[in-house]
Amino acid sequence: MTAMSHGRNRVHIIQGEYRVVDDPDTVLATVLGSCVAACLRDAEAGVGGMNHFLLPGDMGAGRGDAERYGVHLMELLVNGLLKKGARRDRLEGKLFGGARMMEGLSDIGAKNAAFAKRFLQNEGIRLVAEDLGGDRGRRIEYSPVSGRARQSLLSGPTPTVAPTPPAAISRLPAAGSLELF
Amino acid sequence: MSIAAQLRVLIVDDTSTSRMLIRDGLEELGVRNIFFAGDGEQALQFMMSTPAHLVISDFNMPKLDGLGLLKAIRGYNPTKKVPFIMLTGRGDKEVLENAIKLGVNNFLTKPFTVPALKKALEAIIGKLS
Repeated sequence: MTAMSHGRNRVHIIQGEYRVVDDPDTVLATVLGSCVAACLRDAEAGVGGMNHFLLPGDMGAGRGDAERYGVHLMELLVNGLLKKGARRDRLEGKLFGGARMMEGLSDIGAKNAAFAKRFLQNEGIRLVAEDLGGDRGRRIEYSPVSGRARQSLLSGPTPTVAPTPPAAISRLPAAGSLELF
Repeated sequence: MSIAAQLRVLIVDDTSTSRMLIRDGLEELGVRNIFFAGDGEQALQFMMSTPAHLVISDFNMPKLDGLGLLKAIRGYNPTKKVPFIMLTGRGDKEVLENAIKLGVNNFLTKPFTVPALKKALEAIIGKLS
């Protein structure tokens, strides 16, 4: 086990949420299917955060509505970081998720991943690591102050897009592949 | 020419993606003359040289935020009557109250839809087309 797993404060981020922290002992964790988590930080200010989003599908939404929703969630995270002393020009980002979870349907995961990358590029936020796409869910642990991220790919039950209580997450079987970002 | 096509709108937001999305929404509604500022200070400089007919501004911005910009625009004679739409997040009750006190004309909650943008504009300037 690494020190990260022993972070005194472990906060689980569900879809639609974001969290900003400046406490080195806090680890932000999430489980992703086709959703994407953006992990952003300002190393100099010692502050970082994570969000977890899924763009709404095209049904019932007008042109640009999904994009506006995504931008809003990214802005909440960026504004939260700036409030805690981060500077926009020092932000760096890591992106995870965006898997294709169901065959035959439109690839929502790819849409989420492309959106997140485009956003960082438009805003001039440096992308320092990414693991996007594929067909398996991911469990992510991010230590916002150190910037270290740990990813394990999941096998077995597909994490649904609905919020999953933390208790259930520990029972999801991991495939054993652990990567550090 | 429609009212929308004659309108000069200034978009103020520190997130460039957000500025582009507001621009796309306005263009969908027929607005052609769109200007941009990345924070309240830039917006104020713009308004002092070439006032727009309407300002759509984010609240949360560095240097001069949306409330500061609104106050400055209302305090400067040539721009004090320029309609001002504030973009806010859900639950910003204090911001709404302060903006009303400062004379905001309308609000738009992020993330907004194009019909909501149209409604906010038409409530101030009448039918766009």
